[in-house]
Amino acid sequence: MIAFRDILIFAGLAALAAAVIASLFPAGEGVSPVPACSDCAFKLTGGYWIRQYGNYASFYHGTREAARYGWAYIDGFPLNIGEIMGCDPMYVHVLDGVAYVSCRGGDGPAFGRRVLPSAPWVVYISVDPSRPGCTYVVDAAVNESATIQLYVYDESGRLVYSASSPSPATFTVNVPVAGTYRMHVYAPPLLDQWYTLQARVSITATKAAVYTGDNTQDLRSSIALKIFDLTDYWKRGYASVTVRINPAGASFTLSAPAGAFADYLLAWEDCGGCPCDATKDLYKDEVWRLTFTPSGPVFTHIYSQGGYWHEVYADGQLIYVWKKDGPKNDRYTGSDPVISVKFVSQDSSMNAEATFTKVCSWR
Amino acid sequence: MWSAAYGLIALAVVAFVVHYAALHTPDLAPVNLADQLYNAKKWLADNLPSLPRTDSPAHFVASSGNIVKVRVVNVAVSGRSFPIRLPIGYKLAKSDNNLLYELYLDVFSCRSVALQGGAAATLYVIQLRHSLSHLPWLEVYAAVPRDPAQYYSWLYEQYAAWGRPPTVGLDPRIGADADIGLVDYVKAEWALVYDAASGATTLYVAAPPPAPYVLVVDYPLTIPLACPR
Repeated sequence: MIAFRDILIFAGLAALAAAVIASLFPAGEGVSPVPACSDCAFKLTGGYWIRQYGNYASFYHGTREAARYGWAYIDGFPLNIGEIMGCDPMYVHVLDGVAYVSCRGGDGPAFGRRVLPSAPWVVYISVDPSRPGCTYVVDAAVNESATIQLYVYDESGRLVYSASSPSPATFTVNVPVAGTYRMHVYAPPLLDQWYTLQARVSITATKAAVYTGDNTQDLRSSIALKIFDLTDYWKRGYASVTVRINPAGASFTLSAPAGAFADYLLAWEDCGGCPCDATKDLYKDEVWRLTFTPSGPVFTHIYSQGGYWHEVYADGQLIYVWKKDGPKNDRYTGSDPVISVKFVSQDSSMNAEATFTKVCSWR
Repeated sequence: MWSAAYGLIALAVVAFVVHYAALHTPDLAPVNLADQLYNAKKWLADNLPSLPRTDSPAHFVASSGNIVKVRVVNVAVSGRSFPIRLPIGYKLAKSDNNLLYELYLDVFSCRSVALQGGAAATLYVIQLRHSLSHLPWLEVYAAVPRDPAQYYSWLYEQYAAWGRPPTVGLDPRIGADADIGLVDYVKAEWALVYDAASGATTLYVAAPPPAPYVLVVDYPLTIPLACPR
């Protein structure tokens, strides 16, 4: 009677014998034979190496040639004739008899490169020209789900704008007042970027100069038009500012405009050679104010005097005259983003012009 | 009792031997690139209409995996204005066993040109990246509406029915507008230019001006691309 346990015992003894016999073959230890196939994939261990010949590639184990293939490619690049390479383990893909070899591991597909662009984070900044002030559109994304935070600080480090939104995020940052701002786009740990936003009015002028405070000098030989930039005072919260414009200390007081992007006082002198005892009248023959408001640049008349005739132009259009026949418009509204103004005098050496352009830039 | 123990020991030894032999036998895996390539492309073709879409260029670049870049534009037809979405970029990836199929298409620019015969055409300049070194077996068709007013009315019906902008060529599925006789697919002239200096491949397509989109076909994958103007 043969019982189940006898079969088990016999099988166990047979297996023991097989294991003992198998262990007597040290050459077989850890070495895998090379299969011959035309389209297959396998992994070789035990010290194989490849030599490329003129019309075939040989796989060697020690000095014994184990298999031949049409050509050998290593990580996508073909071996040169006579070239030798080897690694352990070696991953081999055979396609139409050509061996594609990689040493880096069998995980992942062997045919096809990764070509899709994928950045850990991307930030696009653009300017929306249809909005007043400087409106930046910030398009930001990170390649995993995260919350993107955006902070904008002004020159004094005050937080003027903050927002957060899950990636992908689009922020609309409106900078209402000209200045230099620092923008922080933050999505830890991937994205931590600082940008500088420059919202400003660029001025190109002839026979004119720009000041950010009082200027009481007599500069008639070179400067007929003094442009006083008041934007910074309004940003610092002043309710009104008094600007001194000539050697006698003549001044004009302006109150803070509401919602202005930039604000300028323009003081012009019409006479290049008038006697110096007239200093109290210098630079006040035409006094105008130029304010960039949300609805566009506004050019307003403040004061006129003088013995010579004047003409005031805005965007090439005559808007105001003094001691002459012509229009007397106290206010001119231009359109964003640029306005040009021009003062013309009987003394043509004092003619001055200036172009104000709103510029929104970043870097 | 003892015999059962012997039996268990014997089983363990057998298991060890089998395991050892299996570990030291080369594991042959079949490689059939043609079928794998077809399966990868078929999977993409089946899933193309349901892929995520974004109108954020930043997200398109930062995202990994399959995504469609769209641009929302407003069209006016017979007094009504409504938004539609134009597919302008694709990042497609699918791996099948030994093979990785990746395709990157991005409409770089799009402008009106005159062909040599004097005919007007819309020139699409499309950035193309392909994961396989063999060039794709490409065909390009232009979708020409038989009656543009009727075509845009049909888009409006879709917009009204769904309450969201339809994507030209992709919604409700690829070829739906051709199946109901609204557009004809005509062969478009195209050229594939490889710049060895930058490693970039550019696909130029000249399509008839009324065509709202072109179809780039790497059979069986069919990809609609619109002009982002």
